[in-house]
Amino acid sequence: MDHEPSRRSFLKLVPLGILAGVFASIGGAAFRFLRPKLSAATDSWLDVAPVAELTGPQPLSRKIAAEQIAGWAINIEEHNVFVLPAKDHQVLSPVCPHEGCEVAWDQGSNRFACPCHESFFAADGARISGPAPRGLDRLPMRVQNGKLQVQYVTKEQATQA
Amino acid sequence: MTRPSENIRDWLEATSGIVGVLLLVQVATGVLLAFYYVPSVDHAHTTVSYIEKVVSSGAWLRSLHHYGSQWLSLFVFLHAIRLFLTRAYVANKVQWIVGILLLGLVMAAGGTGYSLPWDARAFFSTRIAEGLMAGLPFVGPMARLWLLGGSDISTITLSRLSALHVLVIPACVGAVVVWRLFRANVAEILVPRHAIAGGVVFLLLALWCLKYRAPLGPSVAAMPIDYVPRPGAQFLWLYQSLKFLPGGLGSVAGVVLPGIVLTILVLLPWLKRQRLIAGTILGVMGVLVVAMTTASYLSDRNDPQTARQLAIQAAHEDAWRRESFTPAPITLATAMAMSVETGSAPGGQPNMYIKFCAECHGLNGEGGQLGRLRFPPLIDVSTKPRRTSDDIVGLLKDPEAYGLQPPMRSFSNRLTEEQMKEIGEWIVTLKK
Repeated sequence: MDHEPSRRSFLKLVPLGILAGVFASIGGAAFRFLRPKLSAATDSWLDVAPVAELTGPQPLSRKIAAEQIAGWAINIEEHNVFVLPAKDHQVLSPVCPHEGCEVAWDQGSNRFACPCHESFFAADGARISGPAPRGLDRLPMRVQNGKLQVQYVTKEQATQA
Repeated sequence: MTRPSENIRDWLEATSGIVGVLLLVQVATGVLLAFYYVPSVDHAHTTVSYIEKVVSSGAWLRSLHHYGSQWLSLFVFLHAIRLFLTRAYVANKVQWIVGILLLGLVMAAGGTGYSLPWDARAFFSTRIAEGLMAGLPFVGPMARLWLLGGSDISTITLSRLSALHVLVIPACVGAVVVWRLFRANVAEILVPRHAIAGGVVFLLLALWCLKYRAPLGPSVAAMPIDYVPRPGAQFLWLYQSLKFLPGGLGSVAGVVLPGIVLTILVLLPWLKRQRLIAGTILGVMGVLVVAMTTASYLSDRNDPQTARQLAIQAAHEDAWRRESFTPAPITLATAMAMSVETGSAPGGQPNMYIKFCAECHGLNGEGGQLGRLRFPPLIDVSTKPRRTSDDIVGLLKDPEAYGLQPPMRSFSNRLTEEQMKEIGEWIVTLKK
């Protein structure tokens, strides 16, 4: 008998099974293929400026350049940082700990303001008001040969630490 | 019981299953490659190298896409022949038209896809596409400009070919396949025999790709002038035919004639003398493709100079595969900040020696071997005539003037005077 029901319904599964096999083998490779590559942690010290040039009562905005390797690409990423000359040259990340927008220094009201959701921070980075869970993150800093150097820390790294 | 002849007929119909599975593989692997590939002349080769060397399963998936396109071309042609044998142009017009359109679309996908890695092969493939367009009767100059997107091959050309390859052609294939599937019922599509044939072909392809890597030549920027390009297997017939066809005739053979032939085949259901027309066309196509492909293999094998050059290129590609991947600067500013290209490694070797020479001549100048090619040691080379450090600088610029043969090549467009001097001064210090 060529057409008994159980054999026919089994035969219907054969094509689906083969298709599933094809996709499973490509799917397994696809998972490994798409898995994100974490870039190696860089603990390199980045130059900010000579300490002698960083003076005054106000927080100073400075740019640092960090080499970033993302997959096939090398890119030099520029970050803003705030140096506090009045506070032993502590360095603040400008990234708001709420959702990651960059805060700006508002000289008139003497505070940092986040442009996104109205978080405010005092001149030393402490949280004043708004949805931010904490003050601005402090970056590891040191003075080497008269030059201020920092390590750049992302908001996620600072949150985990 | 079925008669044996019916059995063979049933299995012949499984070509649709094979074509279906191979099309799915092309879509799946193509989508995956798009997660890393960048269609720009300064990043395409880097991103493809990254897929080949760094990303897990990248070489296998790219190989599936590369050889899958060649196998698909073969099976979509066999599928057209089997549709002819089963007189689908009478019995199932949609199936016939879809089969013929797929043949054209698969070849178009292959043609545009060859340009994307932007290696030496891609560059020549693009040049030939340019030539075929330019040679078209009446519309030639205009067709060329429209293909290139400007007056010369540029990154815009690569963007165009990429858009055609990943958006336009797959959309057409999808539309055609959906048209076919809407005319069929589920039982007609999920035939066990078709699925088994498709599954077996996929298994063979998967194993093939574990063994053979998709080729990737030197990037266009680093292309040696003596590079000999060869197209993929599905275009060897065209490549070989173009050897015999001057100027505009090539465009007729490569574009006009295939266009006319496909149009006639698509319109076949409404023509008279169907069996004679389609039989002649498919028969001549089959004989021509087989004869020309065989001829191209034979001529490459029988010409010692070409065979030698192809062996050298294969050795270079092997060597390239063994080099580890170096990330590329994404912007010019980054590249300039990083271009500290002199200085030496802890072992005393100049950095540029490690980058360009060590692969063949050994990290410490001890020489080496790659397949049948031997590379002489550099230790004690300064005891030979015409091998002072100044001579080595001259030799790096023009190896032939110093009696050297390929694979040694000129580095004058890759090393600065200072870098060559650095290499020369280090090599003469190598003693036993």
